[in-house]
Amino acid sequence: MSKLSEIWRRVGMLVRGEVFARELEEEMRLHKDLKEQELVADGVDAREARYAANRQFGNAMNLRERGSQAWGWEWIEHFMQDVNYGVRGMLRSPGTTLVALLSLALGIGANTAIFSLTDAVMLKSLPVKDPAGLVLFGSGLDQGISDGFPNPELYSYPFYREMQKRNQVFSDVAASFSMIDHVHGFIEGRSDAEAMNIQLVSGTYFPMLGVQAEAGRMLSEEDDRKKGERPVAVVSYAWWTHSLARDPSVLNKKLTIGPTVFSIVGVAPPEFFGTKVGEAPDIWIPLAMQKEIPPGWDGYQDSMFESLHLMARLKPGVTMTEASADSNLLFQQILHGLAGVPLNQENLQELDKTRVELNSMATGFSRLRYEFSEPLKILMGVVGLVLLIACANIANLLLARSTARARELAVRQALGAGRSRLIRQLLTESLVLALAGGALGVAFAAWASHLLSRMVLDGRDALQLNVGVDMRLLLFTLGVSVATALLFGTIPAFRATTQTLANSLKEGRGQSNAPAKARLATALVVSQIALSLVLLVGAGLLFRSFLTLLKTNPGFNPDGVLTMNLNLPFAKYKENAQRSAFYADLVQRVKTLPGVQSAAVVNYLPLGGANSSDFFLIEGAPEPPPPTQSSIATTIVLAIVSLVS
Amino acid sequence: MNREELLPGTLHLLILKTLARNQQMHGYEIARSIQQFSQDVLQVEEGSLYPALQRMLIKGWVKAEWGVTAENRRARYYRLTAAGRKQLEVEKAQFDRVIQAIARVIQTA
Repeated sequence: MSKLSEIWRRVGMLVRGEVFARELEEEMRLHKDLKEQELVADGVDAREARYAANRQFGNAMNLRERGSQAWGWEWIEHFMQDVNYGVRGMLRSPGTTLVALLSLALGIGANTAIFSLTDAVMLKSLPVKDPAGLVLFGSGLDQGISDGFPNPELYSYPFYREMQKRNQVFSDVAASFSMIDHVHGFIEGRSDAEAMNIQLVSGTYFPMLGVQAEAGRMLSEEDDRKKGERPVAVVSYAWWTHSLARDPSVLNKKLTIGPTVFSIVGVAPPEFFGTKVGEAPDIWIPLAMQKEIPPGWDGYQDSMFESLHLMARLKPGVTMTEASADSNLLFQQILHGLAGVPLNQENLQELDKTRVELNSMATGFSRLRYEFSEPLKILMGVVGLVLLIACANIANLLLARSTARARELAVRQALGAGRSRLIRQLLTESLVLALAGGALGVAFAAWASHLLSRMVLDGRDALQLNVGVDMRLLLFTLGVSVATALLFGTIPAFRATTQTLANSLKEGRGQSNAPAKARLATALVVSQIALSLVLLVGAGLLFRSFLTLLKTNPGFNPDGVLTMNLNLPFAKYKENAQRSAFYADLVQRVKTLPGVQSAAVVNYLPLGGANSSDFFLIEGAPEPPPPTQSSIATTIVLAIVSLVS
Repeated sequence: MNREELLPGTLHLLILKTLARNQQMHGYEIARSIQQFSQDVLQVEEGSLYPALQRMLIKGWVKAEWGVTAENRRARYYRLTAAGRKQLEVEKAQFDRVIQAIARVIQTA
């Protein structure tokens, strides 16, 4: 208690600062005046009295210092002086300062930004219970609906149920629709349709992941028992925040999607974005409600509607090898016995050759990862080099500056500055520089990671990838560059304070300790040039590849072609005929716009990374026998080039 | 007149005791009082009173307040706190022990 009030009093003195010094001064003056008066009253000569009063009082300056030192704030005063001096020094050579600050900002910012993205895309564990125990059937790279047989990447709902029932190695199995449905729906009480990204999942999905609701409840097995039975939805925390402004009555709200009214039964926890990195759905709905979600797929009971990603949690103590053996055995057994699977000779042969590959799902799965792993690793290496160069740069600048200051330090010492005080001053100055650079770096990192995640997501909502500035790496890079600045900022201080003063004073500016300093500086310059050269060559090659890529002929003329994405509200355009009419009208009207030569519509853009394959019948020709593997030769890829220029 | 330097560490004790005798005093009054009570034997380097008072303020043994002297000058008046009174007892006991110990050493033939 008394300790606490003592600290309180000390802080009070610090706050009063100036006033405090003035009061002490006044008090001492009064003392001397009274003494002087007394002596004069005793008959001492006026001048003699003043002199005696002063003498008996002692060294006033010394006493004043001791008076304020008693409060223990001396170091702050010195620190402020040094900071002040450091800032003035920085402003005196703005060129050097600017280069140093920019190096630091670039080194810290670029590293942090790239690492934050790498972490989000590649390294971060799923925010679920024990992510290490999760496995994924296949690679998770395929998306869509397939009727190819057999398919070890995408699975049908009946297959999922069989696997769940019959396996010996998993504590639970879950499934999620391999695509996110982008639909338009109505929030209760609002008249405008709003875009919603819907993820269909099995009832086991949340229990298996061990995700607990932030509010209400998550989906459960009960919600996924019977087709079309339970129109319930769980919304993401992000969606609850930006679409409902965290309305606490969210659990009483209804969502109308198509003709179906869904009840919101829960809100997911803030950290849970789904299991697919880079695709964060707004709303989770049980797979049993698939037909009610536009475009109204009906695959709940269809063994040849292979559209699901299958995931599972290993039983404790079960190894990946055991799980893989059991899963492959079951894969064969289930597909041999599943109703609705066409088991002709050809399919059986294919099935015999097919194996399921189990992958760890500890960090989720992602196309982004597949696409960006390599570039991110390269970038990480590059920015690592940039950090090294930045550090060398800082070191060199500080060394150069200290050479120029050797004389100044010598003069200060000659005037009585203590060694530790001088070293502290140089340390503070370097710290000011490093921290200013660090602050710039943090700002740069925040800006750059935002920019990068937008680039990676290709214009999609940046919220879908959870890229925060990574605090661990920020601290690391900050630490490295601050340490460099401190090290190379203080080496000269140690040197300058150990050598004989007279030498430094005699020598002109910038001559002291020349050989040793020159060696260090040369080493720094050599490494800097070496690193820069590597980067320069790398960047040059990369740029050249990029130019070559730009000149690649895609087989059509892309000059002057503009594209746009369009999503028709399903609720309004229910019929195919309505949609065709809309698009026909759209093309006509775009064509008449000034400057447009021609216009077209397509479902998948050429080289857009997605396609659809299907069988077709030729009008008037006889209907072919039921589809077999060989008839796939008659499949064509439908693609109409959209040319607007 | 022969004046003696203070024993080290006794300045706090003297100030505390002096303040205990009076309601409140400013720095000069404290110095004068010490001198008079010691019948001019004890010589305080007068300035060192002030750093000592600062330390005692931090410890919470004394409180300071600005007031006006009889000659109408602003002065900082110090008064003893409860904690200061307790400290006075502690220091007095300590001082007695030391003096008695010294006396025993010196008087033993």
